[in-house]
Amino acid sequence: MPTFSKNTEPALPRTPREDDLESRRDSKRLRRLLLIAFGWLLALLIGAGVDALISVRRLDRASQEVSRRFTARNRALSTIVVSVRIYDDQLERFLLQDQLQESAPDPADVTNKIAAVRAALLDFPPDRDSDEQLLLAAMQQQLQEEETSCAIVLAWRSDLRQQRAHQFIGQQLIPWRSRIFELSAQISSLDERKLALENLAVATRFQLLESRLVWLVSLALIAGVLMSLICGWYILRLERQARLRYQALARSRLDLESLSARLVEAQEEERRSISRELHDEVGQSLGALLVEVGHLSKLVPPDDRVTQAQIAQIKSVAESAVKSIRDIALLLRPPMLDDLGLVPALEWQAREISRRSDMEVEVHSENVSEALGDETKVTIYRLVQEALNNAATHAFAKNAKVTIAQNSDKITVEITDDGHGFDPGRQRGMGILGMEERVRRLGGTLTIESAPGKGATMKAELPLHKADSP
Amino acid sequence: MRKIRILLADDHKLIRGGLRLLIEQQTDLTVVGEANDGRETVSLAKSFKPDVVVMDVGMPNLNGIEAALQITQANPEISIVMLSMHSDESYVLRALKAGAKGYLLKDSAESDLIKAVHAVADGKSFFSPAVSKVLLDDYVRKLKRSGAEDAYDLLTPREREILQLVAEGKSNKDVANLLNLSVYTVETHRSNIMEKLNLRGIPELILFAVRRGIIS
Repeated sequence: MPTFSKNTEPALPRTPREDDLESRRDSKRLRRLLLIAFGWLLALLIGAGVDALISVRRLDRASQEVSRRFTARNRALSTIVVSVRIYDDQLERFLLQDQLQESAPDPADVTNKIAAVRAALLDFPPDRDSDEQLLLAAMQQQLQEEETSCAIVLAWRSDLRQQRAHQFIGQQLIPWRSRIFELSAQISSLDERKLALENLAVATRFQLLESRLVWLVSLALIAGVLMSLICGWYILRLERQARLRYQALARSRLDLESLSARLVEAQEEERRSISRELHDEVGQSLGALLVEVGHLSKLVPPDDRVTQAQIAQIKSVAESAVKSIRDIALLLRPPMLDDLGLVPALEWQAREISRRSDMEVEVHSENVSEALGDETKVTIYRLVQEALNNAATHAFAKNAKVTIAQNSDKITVEITDDGHGFDPGRQRGMGILGMEERVRRLGGTLTIESAPGKGATMKAELPLHKADSP
Repeated sequence: MRKIRILLADDHKLIRGGLRLLIEQQTDLTVVGEANDGRETVSLAKSFKPDVVVMDVGMPNLNGIEAALQITQANPEISIVMLSMHSDESYVLRALKAGAKGYLLKDSAESDLIKAVHAVADGKSFFSPAVSKVLLDDYVRKLKRSGAEDAYDLLTPREREILQLVAEGKSNKDVANLLNLSVYTVETHRSNIMEKLNLRGIPELILFAVRRGIIS
């Protein structure tokens, strides 16, 4: 007993299915690779962008801080210098009040001014480095001495003041002032140096960022170019595969069409020859047999009952054989098509169906030519046969109508029934496929309209060739 | 007595042989020729001028119906009996239109042939009883399903009489003589019959008569 298991399949080296599977696996791998690469590229770009943003912001902040610090120191220094000048001026005017013809400042005012100097000194930003601290301390010490001597000077009486004012100014006040200015100049230059250094640091960091960015962008660019190349190659490969597949599909469809066309042809030819064999050989022999039996029964005396009964039996067997052979032959290739032409053959078929089933069939024809090509006639005949059989046996129709009309360039056949109907989109049996094939072979169109419960209409339009014209 | 001269046409020698045997058992019948296909039948009919041609419907090189048409056009006096496997009205009607007077089913040829030959030689029609039965069955079934009434019931007794005579092959003049009517009255009756039965032409009228068993 033959077994139809997988083991009996011939072991081919590669089937198209395996090839397909492999290429699909390949594609999957490549797709995953591309996805990862795209992810990386995206991450790289986002990383570079975020990094650049943060770095720029940080650098900006740093450079702002640098300039803020410098400005604050500058302002503090100039405040110190200005307050020192004001205080000096006040003190000088106080000391020289007797020589100068103007109102003398109040000693308390002078004390206030020196307090302002101290306040200005204290106002110097607290974030000082050691050099600054040293210089500021020196300034503070000077101020301390100044305050002490100022207190004494302010307490001088007028005569003492007149006597010593010039000396004090020349020997104490001016050198002290110069000293303060010198110190402030030192702090200022220190600050300027620091500013320059810090600016340099910011510039260096900026350069670093720049080079990092350039590096990242070039990396992304190279990766992008590489990936577009890979993608391009992948797309080309897909296109080629699609083209190959389409070609294969078109070829196999063509093969299939020619195969089915040959099948229809072969089927018709086979039917014709079997029908002819049956009708011409078997049928005629049986016909002759019947005639001979008729002779025989005449030769046997009528009162020989036994023999006569035997002959009658032979006759009835032969008759039933003739009948079944005729039915088979008719089904295979109705001679009506050849003997009577298309329309009478269709009418015959309609009556035949009416005799066999509960369906009444009407045939209407309009100027149908007798000289239709054989293939056209057979196609229409088979179409009607199939449709009526379907209507009677599957759709249990009660009435059917066949309309056949011919005009100058085509012949239209329509078969309508009032049966149960069907869904032509889904139910397509071999019969309908065969009909489509026959119609397509002649370059015609077949449309089927039906829905469950709504009967069915089948309509075929066949182009007429020159041979078919009336 | 003059024998009835018969031409046999069938593409099967066995059948021809059987028919010839059958015919030659009759003293008043003789076979004057045998033809193998349609064309040969037409040419033999032309040269032998037989009284009756017994011819198969399906023959190679011109089928029996076409051959019958050509023979009756050339020699209307020749009567034709068609032999056929088919009892369907398509065939019967085509045979009648081609001018055949008799229509025999092959399986009953052996019992009815002699009757048929005598009938057509006498100018009458002859149809196998089985043919009449099939035609009537088809007609009755159709009436039943469509619910229509039988047009035959619409005919008056006189019209039925005339229908039968016309179907039997009588001319208007013969009918008028037989029924003691004027030819004009017979013509009026005839056209009424055709209208009531919805028939076109004598072949359809004969078919109707056969179907109803008015003639056989």
